[in-house]
Amino acid sequence: MNSSFERWHIVQQFLFHEARLLDERRWDDWLNLYEDDAEYWMPYEWGQKSATDHVSLFFEDKTLLRMRIDRLKNDLSPLEWPPARTNRHLSNVQITEDTGDRVTATVYLAFVEYRREEQRWFSSRVTWSLHTEGDSFQIAAKRVDLLNCDQESGHLRFATPM
Amino acid sequence: MSGNLSELVGRGRVSRRLYTDPDIFEEEMKHIFGRVWLWLGHESQLNNPGDLFTTRMGRDRIIVARHEDGEIYAFDNRCTHRGAEVCPKKSGNAAHFECPYHAWTYRTDGSLKSVPLRKGYDTGFDARVDALALEPVARLDSYQGFIFGSHAADGDDLQTYLGPDVREAFDNFVDRSPDGTLEMTGGTTVQRYRGNWKLQIENSIDLLHPLILHHSAVDAADRVDHGGREPSIEWDTVKANGLSFSEWDELHVAALPRGHCWMGGFLTKAIDEDAEKAVMDENGWRVLQAQYRDTMIAAHGEERTDEVLAFNRHNTIVYPNLLVNSRLAQVRILHPSAADCTEQHGYIFRRGGAPERMFEASVRMVNANNSPSSIVTSDDHEVFERIQEALEYGTSEWLDWSRGIYQERKLEGGTGGAGTNEVAMRNQHRAWAEYMAAEYMAPNNMADDTAGA
Repeated sequence: MNSSFERWHIVQQFLFHEARLLDERRWDDWLNLYEDDAEYWMPYEWGQKSATDHVSLFFEDKTLLRMRIDRLKNDLSPLEWPPARTNRHLSNVQITEDTGDRVTATVYLAFVEYRREEQRWFSSRVTWSLHTEGDSFQIAAKRVDLLNCDQESGHLRFATPM
Repeated sequence: MSGNLSELVGRGRVSRRLYTDPDIFEEEMKHIFGRVWLWLGHESQLNNPGDLFTTRMGRDRIIVARHEDGEIYAFDNRCTHRGAEVCPKKSGNAAHFECPYHAWTYRTDGSLKSVPLRKGYDTGFDARVDALALEPVARLDSYQGFIFGSHAADGDDLQTYLGPDVREAFDNFVDRSPDGTLEMTGGTTVQRYRGNWKLQIENSIDLLHPLILHHSAVDAADRVDHGGREPSIEWDTVKANGLSFSEWDELHVAALPRGHCWMGGFLTKAIDEDAEKAVMDENGWRVLQAQYRDTMIAAHGEERTDEVLAFNRHNTIVYPNLLVNSRLAQVRILHPSAADCTEQHGYIFRRGGAPERMFEASVRMVNANNSPSSIVTSDDHEVFERIQEALEYGTSEWLDWSRGIYQERKLEGGTGGAGTNEVAMRNQHRAWAEYMAAEYMAPNNMADDTAGA
């Protein structure tokens, strides 16, 4: 077991790596970070408890995520052109649980997206459940709590996971 | 506004100004949204006295509440003193509404209960108290538990307004609950797009576009390897857009009086045909459908169950802004906020007596179709925004809506056509022209000098 500082550094580097894969639109490499039964969840309600008795902004298993990135990748939709440029700024990285095999990490995420003459940004708190896999990790679950998840006027479309 | 707005709707064509002109939008808010029956919510939101929710009628902010007399009331969410919002909650329970500014207080039927330092007003104030109630919605009525309001004091009653075909969609909504109850719950999806509200109700009855516009989503669905497992209901929902042109054309579209319309169901077709090829998982949706059918048979018998489940429609569109889908246990409503900005709110229902996972199925389907992350409707909204941007400039006035104009079919109570016929959109535009041409009556009596002597 590493010292807690080293551990924190390694986890943080992994999360930075995921953000980079997304920002560089390396979709397959990104999805390979996820376990087969992983869940990607962006709740609609602040503090939402369940994804099965309440609507969500995203609630996708690996199959649905694959469908989503396949569509972005294959450039079949003229409506995805030009592709969005994104930056994911991660800060306040904390490990909230670490059993050695299983790590829970939280960050504050600032997601900035530029597309078609418009830049928009979202602030959120993100929680990962990670499984240790050799020197690295596999993502078992990622939960993105958007600060304005339940904004009454709704949201313009989200094409990519955050 | 001068000129005859109904001239903007021609035979098989409409003016682009219907989508872009802010003055026309203001007229729509008065002549259409200020007059027709608009959907407000569902009675299951108001089980007890004091239960309330807030919603919108066009741009107006409305409170709907159950009062201690057991009746439902609806009124503006705006203090009659200085205009502050009196109820900040989306839903909840309240004994009364107290304005945060000067503490004018209203009962849950909207009537004025008290004002502070009453002695500051003259004796004539007592006579004005009734008029100082929160501005009531002129008419309120329910059909099958669905609450509607109208700003117009006169006009068709709700049942007449809906008409037999639309009423059937609500009847079937309730009939699909084994115990006959519905609960509106599970939150609301809200998709905003920067385009005119009409773009969505035209799109929702447009069966030519799915195979083209949603090609990338369908194609991605086709390439999914399910690894020998049953496809998810979300996958089914996306994949269903992939019918061929001739299959879309085989579906029927009905255009009804007052701009309403409906289209034949297509999810059943796609899902049932896939089911023949698909693996059935023990905890999958296809087994769940069978369990649901069993609960229906236990409650209503096989013959009645088959009759209820055979009702196969996708969207029934209640002009101007409501989409009803009994099969998905879902309704969507459009709230226009400007000529070029619209919100689409999606609501789902729990069917009383059905297996609990039927509700989860509704949650998953509304996520897949009507969350801002939907890979299907995102493309619709992206194209709406590009339409809106493009319609703002140029010199050509007209948009073409002539497809199938010589192939319309006369039906009892309306007209109809093959799936890709644009008869339902022409019918919406005709209703628009009729509403806009009719004389507008302000809902409240503006001439009344309530300030007294």
